[in-house]
Amino acid sequence: MKEGRIKKKMTLYQKDQLKGLVFVTPFIIGLCAFFLYPLFFSLWLSVGRVDSLMGMKTSFAGLQNYINAFVVDVEFLPTFWESVQRTLVQFPLTVLLALIVAIMLNRDIKCRGLYRVIFFIPFLLGSGQVMEQLINQGVDKAVLNIMDGRLIPYNVLNYFGSGVTDMVATVLSTLVSVLWSSSVQILLFLSGLQSISPSLYEAAKIDGATEWEIFWKVTVPMISPILLLTLIYSLVDSFTDIGNPLLEYIQEEGFNKGKFEYGAAMGWIYFAFIGVLVMIIFSVMRGYIHTNEVGGKKAWQRA
Amino acid sequence: MTLKIKWFKGQWLHITLSKVLLYIVMLLLVGFTVLPLVYLVCTAFKPMDELFVFPPRFYVKNPTLKNFGDLLVSLGSSAVPFTRYLFNSLVITSAIVLCTVIVSSMGAYSLVKFKPPGGAFLFNLILMALMFSPHVTKIPSYMVVNGLGLVNSYGALILPNIAVAYNIFLIKQFMEQYPDELLEAARIDGAGEFRIFLQMVMPALKPATSTLVVFSFVNNWNDYFSPLIYITSQEMKTLPLALQTISGGAANMAVGRAGAVAAATFVMLVPTVIIFTIMQGNVMETMVYSGIKE
Repeated sequence: MKEGRIKKKMTLYQKDQLKGLVFVTPFIIGLCAFFLYPLFFSLWLSVGRVDSLMGMKTSFAGLQNYINAFVVDVEFLPTFWESVQRTLVQFPLTVLLALIVAIMLNRDIKCRGLYRVIFFIPFLLGSGQVMEQLINQGVDKAVLNIMDGRLIPYNVLNYFGSGVTDMVATVLSTLVSVLWSSSVQILLFLSGLQSISPSLYEAAKIDGATEWEIFWKVTVPMISPILLLTLIYSLVDSFTDIGNPLLEYIQEEGFNKGKFEYGAAMGWIYFAFIGVLVMIIFSVMRGYIHTNEVGGKKAWQRA
Repeated sequence: MTLKIKWFKGQWLHITLSKVLLYIVMLLLVGFTVLPLVYLVCTAFKPMDELFVFPPRFYVKNPTLKNFGDLLVSLGSSAVPFTRYLFNSLVITSAIVLCTVIVSSMGAYSLVKFKPPGGAFLFNLILMALMFSPHVTKIPSYMVVNGLGLVNSYGALILPNIAVAYNIFLIKQFMEQYPDELLEAARIDGAGEFRIFLQMVMPALKPATSTLVVFSFVNNWNDYFSPLIYITSQEMKTLPLALQTISGGAANMAVGRAGAVAAATFVMLVPTVIIFTIMQGNVMETMVYSGIKE
């Protein structure tokens, strides 16, 4: 009697697993062919030497490529540091600004739909060709010109001295570049905010919570999965951005000069660094993520 | 701080300080963001003499359609018409978007609701894939595509872009909010697994899949790097590559073609705007079953 029940439970569980495998198989195939295999191959390349380009004959070279990056190549470390600095400034700003804009967009203001579309436009321009065309034509600088000349008259700026002028220019140019790279984040936050059930807010208001309390006790926990997604997305996005100096360098060395193995090694060093940052974010966020699960088990498994 | 103004029909208009501030900040941010688009659209309609004004002007004085004509004519001499690039891009991008939505949703559904053996490991792999710069795996990827005999075909551009880690990660985050109780109810009512997936999970995931459609479309539409290495013949090139061909490279842009380039840039933008306009209602839509959410 008892054994029979256990047996039945096991088969159900196994059936469940089998169904799960069926659903996930197409993704696994794609991941293996176009991510895992290339990944291990590039790892092999990074500790190897290409003997012949025909058929990619390689031999083991130990850590030579990695040592080259740090000891021999004088350009690698400064480029790496430049990329890191750019990211550390832009990444927190992007997430913060996106959250603020999303919250403002989620409020009851006029022409909401229009603003949403406008904030998403830079993403539609893409990080690729179109954006490059625009930057070639100096649009980002033109925006600054307008800001300097018309909105804030030169006389006012001169009155405060060049230090302030420079600061304003830096702040504005950072603001523009951050805004242009935060459209996806705004969208993600918005869809997170929209999926919060209004009854939660209602309940909080009835219990006498202030706006500030509601934000920290309702909004933040409810969008925490989206927050994690956004944090990681922005981090990775700033690293794989088209203007990232290190990626340009890797591409130059790896593709244009044909040093595949050196390019792969630099890619792995870079990956290790991003990995550390993501680990930090994950371990910090782990305690705050809100899910429907209780104790990591599904409701029907608990029952 | 509240200001009361008598509005028409005897209504009172309440203006609070926070509201005024909200609008001012909003309009400033919107202004910053909208300028590139204004510039882009105007440039496509600028006649020759206005294209080279310095500093660049944001508006156009004498709008003309000549640039679009140039676009068709300047490429008419070469063997491949501009419309062919447009067709290539449309076919490839639509195929990728369709496949990736199906594959990612199925994968995420399985990972979240069934927890198959090795699911945790797979999720860790996905996280790792998220962090990895795609440029580094491009050379081995090329060898895979080459091995499959797909070089210079639509398949070379479509297949590698379907099982993208970011896509499944996005859907997974949304899938976690889907209540297990609904699945349970459907199972008790005797629905098959694929039926549950197609008729219950997919409609509820509409905001997530719409978001994915927009992401995937825009990313692949603007993708310059993949066609650059996978495509060898002129008639298989996609729009971003064609744009490069028309402008003759960023460094030595042919002056006579500046108008055509601006027009091509504009044409490139249009489909993404259309997709976004169609999808944005869904993207912003509340979860269909938010009422049952815990």
